[in-house]
Amino acid sequence: MSTVLEAPAAKPAAKPPFVLKGVMQAPVTPLHADFSVDYDNLAKMVDFHVRNGAPAIAWPHHKAESPNLTMAERKQGAEVLIKTVARRVPVSIFVGSLSEEDSLDLTRHAEKAGADMLLTISPYCRRPTQEEIFRSITRIGTHTELPILTYNSPWRNGEGVEFTSELVQRLIERLPNYIGMKDASFHSEKFTEISRVALNMRPHFSIIMGLEHLLASYPLGACGSFSSCGAIAPNLCNRFFAALEAHDWPTARTCQYKITKLYRLFKDQYPSSLKGAMISMGRDAGPIRPPLPTASKERVDFLCKQLEILDVFNTEPHGW
Amino acid sequence: MKHLKPGLVHVPVTPFKADQSIDYDLYAKVLEFHIANGADALALPMQQAEDVSLTDIEVRELLAFAIKQVKGRVPVIAHISDPGTGIAVERAKYAEQLGAAAIASHPPYFWHPKPSMVVEHLVQIGKGVKLPFYVCTPVVEDAGTHMTAEMVLDVVKQLDNIAGVIDASMRFVFMVEVISLGREIKPDLQFIAGTDFMVPNATVGGMGALSPLSSVAPKLARQMFELCEKQKFVEARKLQEQMAELHHLIKKGGRAGLKTAMRAMNRPCGDPRLPALSLGEPEMSLLAQRVAATAYLSAEPRGW
Repeated sequence: MSTVLEAPAAKPAAKPPFVLKGVMQAPVTPLHADFSVDYDNLAKMVDFHVRNGAPAIAWPHHKAESPNLTMAERKQGAEVLIKTVARRVPVSIFVGSLSEEDSLDLTRHAEKAGADMLLTISPYCRRPTQEEIFRSITRIGTHTELPILTYNSPWRNGEGVEFTSELVQRLIERLPNYIGMKDASFHSEKFTEISRVALNMRPHFSIIMGLEHLLASYPLGACGSFSSCGAIAPNLCNRFFAALEAHDWPTARTCQYKITKLYRLFKDQYPSSLKGAMISMGRDAGPIRPPLPTASKERVDFLCKQLEILDVFNTEPHGW
Repeated sequence: MKHLKPGLVHVPVTPFKADQSIDYDLYAKVLEFHIANGADALALPMQQAEDVSLTDIEVRELLAFAIKQVKGRVPVIAHISDPGTGIAVERAKYAEQLGAAAIASHPPYFWHPKPSMVVEHLVQIGKGVKLPFYVCTPVVEDAGTHMTAEMVLDVVKQLDNIAGVIDASMRFVFMVEVISLGREIKPDLQFIAGTDFMVPNATVGGMGALSPLSSVAPKLARQMFELCEKQKFVEARKLQEQMAELHHLIKKGGRAGLKTAMRAMNRPCGDPRLPALSLGEPEMSLLAQRVAATAYLSAEPRGW
C-alpha cells in the first residue's frame, strides 16, 4: 500500500504579477474561405473578448484548432494576439504540440513576443508516464522565465496526459514559475486531490477549469475557467462568475445549466458547431480545417433555432 | 410510489468470520453503530460491503437480517445489482417484500452490453417493484458499464418510480447534465453523491450522499453533509479535503483498507472475503498508524 500524499510546506515562488480569476476566453481561430488564417478577424475576435469582460485571453487551445495550425501560423497568431490585447489583460499562449522541440520553439517565441504566461502539456498521443511528463514540463519550465500553466487532460482508461497530485507536487517543488493548471479531469476525486495538495503548497496556484465546467470545483478552489461559449454568450459567462463570487448558488446553477446546454450544442465535432453558431451572432469566423467538418447550412440553421430557444439573441451582443 | 428523501446515507460493511461466513452478531453491532452515529438511512450491501462476494441467498438473508434489526428506525435502501436481469428483478421483489424503503441498482456487472440493453436491464428491475428506484453509476475506473447522461435520461423517461441517481462516477459534466436535463423530465429527480465527495455534488444541485467512510469518520461526514445542506459549500472545503485525504489513505488498500481503518478505530469487522486479500502486516500497521496520527479523526468515536 502506498502512503497518502501529504501536502508539504510550499517552496517560495514569485507571486505572479497578475491574478487569474473569472471566465477567461480562449478565442477560436478565424479562417478565410480558402482555409488560410484570417488574422484581421483574429484581432477582432480577441478585441471582442476583451471589450466584453474577459479577464484573460488564451490561445490557441484545441478549440482554436491548434493541432491544425503550422508553427509559423501559431507564432504569427500569438503576435497578433499580444499586440491586440496590448496589456489590457494577461495573455496565455498554448505551446503544447506533438513534438517537444516544437513546444520549446513556441516557448521561446512566446516569451520574446511578450506573452504573460504559457500553457503547456507533455506531447500527446503517446500515453506518457508520470516521469516522462515531469521531465517534459521541467524542460519547458526551465527554458523560460515566464509563468507556466500545465494542461491536465486525462481520458478514460489511463489514456491522455494526466497530472496526478504527486506529479503536481514534484513540479511545484521543482519549478518556481509553475503557477497553475488548466484542469480537464472534470472529476470530484481527481480535482480535490490536486487542489488539496497544490493550494496548500502554493496558495496562489491557479486551477482553471477547461471549458466551463466550473461550478462543481469552485468551492474547492478553482479560480475560473477557459470558456467554450464566450464567443456566443459572454454576458452569461460574466454573470456566472459574478454569482460564484457572491456565493449565489441558485443563480450560478441557472447559469451553469444554460452554459452546459450551449456546450452540448457545440461538443459535436468541436469546434465545428461553435463556429457554426457564431455565424448567427454576427461573428462569422469562417470554416474549419479538415479533417473536422465545417458546419453545414442545415446545422447552422439548427444552431440558430437552439440559440433562439435559449434566449441568447436577446441577452448577448451581436456582431464584433 | 412512496417518497423517500434519504439524507446522509451510511454504507455498512459486511463483517466476516475467520471461516468466511457472515458474522451476524457483529453485523448487528455495525448497524447499531451507524444508527447511533448519524445515519439518516442505510444502503446495503453496497460495493464497500463486498456485495459481489455474496451469494444470492446471502444477500437475501443479509437484507432480511438488516431490515429486522433496524426495525424501521431509518430507511434501508436495498442495493440489488447482478449480471442477470431476471436474477436482479427477483431479488428486488424479495427486498420489497421484506420492507426495504427503496431499490438501488448498478448497470449489469461483467457484461459490456449496448447502451439500450443497459437501460432495459435497469428499467426491468425498476418495473419489478413499486418502491422508489435509484440508478447507481459506477466509479469510472471500475470494470463494467459506463453510464452516459443519455442512458440515465432514458431510464428516467421510462420508469414511473424512478427516484434518482446515486452517482459514484464523480464526473462534473455528467452531474450537471443529469440534474439539469433530468429535472426537465422529472422535477423532483434526486441526484445523490455515491461517494464521500459530496461538496461538488451538492454545489451543482445534488441532494443527499452515501458515505462509505461513515464507518470510520461519521462525525466528519455529518458535519460536511450539514454544511452542504445549508449551501455552505466554500465553508465545507476544509472538511472535504480532510475526507479526500482519508479516502486516499484508505483507497489503495481496497476493501481491506476500509476494514483495516475500522480496526484502527476499534471496530474490527474481520478480513475481506476472498478473493480480496487482507493487507500484509507492514501495510496494515502503517495504515493503522496513519489513522491514529490523523488529527481530525481524534473527535471520531472509537469502538462500538
